[in-house]
Amino acid sequence: MNRSEGGSSVGCAGYGRGRVVCRRIILGSVVWAMLGASVASAQVRGTIVGPGATSYPIAVSPLKASVGAEKASTMFADIVAKDLEISGLFRVIDRGAYIENAQGSGVTAETIDFKDWSTIGAQALVKGSIERDGEGLVVEARLFDVVEAKQIGGKRYRAGDDELRRIAHRFADEIMLVLTGERGPFESKIAFASRRRGRFKEIYSMSLDAGDLRAVTRDGSIALAPSWSPDGRSLLFTSFASGNPSLFITGLDGDKRLLSSRRGLNLGGRWSPGGKAIAVALEAGGATDIALLDPSGQVIHFVTKDRSIDVSPSWSPDGQSIVFCSDRGGGPQIYVVGAQGGTPRRVTFEGSYNTSPAWAPKGDRIAYASRIGGRFQIFTVAVGGGDVKRITSTRGDNEDPSWSPDGRYLVFSSTRDGSGAIYLSDAAGSKQTRLTPSGGDDSSPAWSRWLE
Amino acid sequence: MARSIRVAAVLMMVVAITVTGCAKKKRITDESGVAGAGGTGNEESLNDSGSLGRYKRGLGPEEDGVLKDIHFAYDSYELDGSARDVIAANAEWLKENSRAKTEIEGHCDERGTVEYNLALGAKRAKSVKDYLVTLGVASERLTTISYGEELPLCRDASEQCYARNRRVHFVPPSE
Repeated sequence: MNRSEGGSSVGCAGYGRGRVVCRRIILGSVVWAMLGASVASAQVRGTIVGPGATSYPIAVSPLKASVGAEKASTMFADIVAKDLEISGLFRVIDRGAYIENAQGSGVTAETIDFKDWSTIGAQALVKGSIERDGEGLVVEARLFDVVEAKQIGGKRYRAGDDELRRIAHRFADEIMLVLTGERGPFESKIAFASRRRGRFKEIYSMSLDAGDLRAVTRDGSIALAPSWSPDGRSLLFTSFASGNPSLFITGLDGDKRLLSSRRGLNLGGRWSPGGKAIAVALEAGGATDIALLDPSGQVIHFVTKDRSIDVSPSWSPDGQSIVFCSDRGGGPQIYVVGAQGGTPRRVTFEGSYNTSPAWAPKGDRIAYASRIGGRFQIFTVAVGGGDVKRITSTRGDNEDPSWSPDGRYLVFSSTRDGSGAIYLSDAAGSKQTRLTPSGGDDSSPAWSRWLE
Repeated sequence: MARSIRVAAVLMMVVAITVTGCAKKKRITDESGVAGAGGTGNEESLNDSGSLGRYKRGLGPEEDGVLKDIHFAYDSYELDGSARDVIAANAEWLKENSRAKTEIEGHCDERGTVEYNLALGAKRAKSVKDYLVTLGVASERLTTISYGEELPLCRDASEQCYARNRRVHFVPPSE
């Protein structure tokens, strides 16, 4: 099993199978030797889960806590449980039904009474321990197959208190990796534009569970179209803060720098997957074209240069191609072009208004928004064109799709409940969930890669 | 303080035009020139009394003004007959007030996505500017900016509101 994306700073080999050591800069984690694990995960995978399958019942117990770590113990379990619920693949059994006392019971396969868990319907179980030592928290989280009564996954993490959320998300991703063969998307962030603090559109960032939702900009102007750097540490966005709609780059602490301020639009900046160039829509004299900038904001070359509207670039995962929206055919449609330029190839042929394309991390499909019956809905199409799949069928408008790093999910904005909110859907259009709390008028979500 | 003097001067002028009829258009008086917006001069002050400047001050965007708004069909930046008439009238005013500068703002209704609408607004502003230039207004007096769907006049989901928002608006001219 290999990770499909991310992890480049880690250097894990054969992740999740056998005894593997992964070293990280921020968090140290060691995979526990899994007893007979190489067969176990295949067996479990046979009973699980994909879109449309019934949910896999799992229990997530608070960790056994040493003194001073009790709150962290519950918080860890809460975050893991919520992530698993959001995934749409699991049914997390309510903690009120758990028979044993987490603080007084064993955490290894030999010391757990699996009957306590099979009785309440769990097929998998998360247990472990959390300790506070001189430097922070040490978490040992273990995943068990209740039916086989054996451990099938485990991680040890060392982290400061302010990283507890992140390691809980990381373990949720690990659970998904063990049980489905593919890493989950939860150790990532979503940026979006919102007017939840007042009339000004600002950039916000949050984890998928909206647990740490916070403002990134406070410019008192119009900030929009955020997108992440490949390492998840900075955002590109367009803002009218200096009068002209210019492209800025900002760290998550709001420390921002002007990158491109050509007179006119500097809109929809997106880093190439390798982090060496930024695709952006630049407008001059009314015509908007796709250009590549270097990391200092200088134009490398124009990918398109014509009288039509060319906007909303999105990179292929191999960094060789760009998908964008253009009205060169009369109305807005989706086109693919080589990153060096060339003749764009049209991808959408159904519907008269197709826009906001996003190239899937697995490289095979493009998500976009299409106007049908006066409203916008989310669709996906094969990169070669054809095989159009409809994702949303709601009232209101569904716009600006963005893919999860694992390629299983999409986020997009939706006004189905009135004011705009960020919604999640799996790539087949099922399991749609609202992510942002109300009061928002949220738009333009951007999903980061896995955090490094 | 200086800003309100300028607004008052524009209002006085509008009243003067209304009273005297279109044949006699008053020049802008000196009080209505660049007001204390700071920064690098003309462009800053134009921005200040434009739709974004007003928005930052808690005001809604203005409709019309000394120079009238131009309206567009859905998803279009073409100028129809009545649009050309309005632009022609605006051109006359600008030729009579030959030192006045203005910023041409392109706007869209809320249907359509944020980024495409910003580009469409830019096309609308450029269409209007180009036509003004062909009517004899010097290009250097006209700047353009697009706000897409970000600064609408109204927010209800009605055809009438959408039509009002699909507009080019002229920032109150100043010298």
